[in-house]
Amino acid sequence: MAMRQTPLTCSGHTRPVVDLAFSGITPYGYFLISACKGAGQHLPALSGQRYGKPMLRQGDTGDWIGTFLGHKGAVWGATLNKDASKAATAAADFTAKVWDAVSGDELMTLAHKHIVKTVDFTQDSNYLLTGGQDKLLRIYDLNKPEAEPKEISGHTSGIKKALWCSEDKQILSADDKTVRLWDHATMTEVKSLNFNMSVSSMEYIPEGEILVITYGRSIAFHSAVSLDPIKSFEAPATINSASLHPEKEFLVAGGEDFKLYKYDYNSGEELESYKGHFGPIHCVRFSPDGELYASGSEDGTLRLWQTVVGKTYGLWKCVLPEEDSAELAKPKLGFPETTEEELEEMTSENSDCIYSSTPDVKA
Amino acid sequence: MQTPVTIPVPVLRLPRGPDGFSRGFAPDGRRAPLKPEVPQIQECPIAQESLESQEQRARAALRERYLRSLLAMVGHQVSFTLHEGVRVAAHFGATDLDVANFYVSQLQTPIGVQAEALLRCSDIISYTFKP
Repeated sequence: MAMRQTPLTCSGHTRPVVDLAFSGITPYGYFLISACKGAGQHLPALSGQRYGKPMLRQGDTGDWIGTFLGHKGAVWGATLNKDASKAATAAADFTAKVWDAVSGDELMTLAHKHIVKTVDFTQDSNYLLTGGQDKLLRIYDLNKPEAEPKEISGHTSGIKKALWCSEDKQILSADDKTVRLWDHATMTEVKSLNFNMSVSSMEYIPEGEILVITYGRSIAFHSAVSLDPIKSFEAPATINSASLHPEKEFLVAGGEDFKLYKYDYNSGEELESYKGHFGPIHCVRFSPDGELYASGSEDGTLRLWQTVVGKTYGLWKCVLPEEDSAELAKPKLGFPETTEEELEEMTSENSDCIYSSTPDVKA
Repeated sequence: MQTPVTIPVPVLRLPRGPDGFSRGFAPDGRRAPLKPEVPQIQECPIAQESLESQEQRARAALRERYLRSLLAMVGHQVSFTLHEGVRVAAHFGATDLDVANFYVSQLQTPIGVQAEALLRCSDIISYTFKP
């Protein structure tokens, strides 16, 4: 029998989830950080205002670990360092913050002159790259937080995304219509790409030096070293974010039609598509082991999806109908009052209205 | 017009959400040993060591007693005191790994009896049973 994807919904944010990032694989598994535009649904007593609350989750299950409290505006960007010991966030309160990701404590507040949109750690976590509406790239030495950051100017519109690449020797940054490559040592521009449409997202894959750029309905792959185009695909709708699988077999993308698409990277064939979100998808990322991908949406949820549907991994359990009676093959979601007919009805669409009907069980 | 029969992939449970009480980063979480230590007042190192191991042994003993109490509850009638003065009774079945949920059967609620149910431990104030 064919297995149907059961996405796992992580709630906690009630405002749009605009950015998400995975850590590397650590001895404690891997972790996920998400950023949202406004207040989370919990802790109303601890912060009376509608501030963005970045959250840390266990990467393979989506279990909430903690919420980073301190920003006084929407949080636009969030990232983890490789071993998930530190987190960094970029916010509309004109600051970027660095956090201890184990204790949840704020370590540093880095003042900027405008909304900060993007943050990225170097591999050794010694430097933090930031970018935002003031059109400047800034490099902070995290061992000397009081020192002035190094600044790189040149962008002519607000910076949406900035990433270290080529073993932190170069920097990639995207503004509205350009993607630029900079040399870290000389702080000068090496190359740039121009687009007719707004660049919505950028992802850097170190193994193979691949850059994934989305704009309009296009998902484009470029060399991160030369910026030369490798290939590109067109999706059925405007795409806001895309991610390439670590083994470069698949890519996933999501955007304005609320759907997630999975493509074969080599052939460009659309393999799977999923409805499920109730709003545009803003960010999608594969986990570092490629076993799942996470999507963040305007609907305020983060969802985890299996790369290979039906496999045992994290909270998903592989069940073969032949192994036991047919009873075992039915989803055991702990909804005692739901009859079999109601379950069938609810699962007939590829949506997760199963969860929304019983609010007290929603995570 | 029949759609092809497909089975949704079963899940063990839903991802856990924020607990609504704190900002999280549980002191007894997976990565707790990595947390920066609060500086201790200087004590004789040997005395401090045995104090720590005494505490750890006490913690282990209490934990073992609690786990055994849960084992003893299986199959018994338990009364739960929940928020808002609600009291329910049920046959205790099992708990999950983190003691976040209790699986119970024949749950007597003000609106009827549920054959099987999951009680969220964060909703429980106290519970009592006679072994």
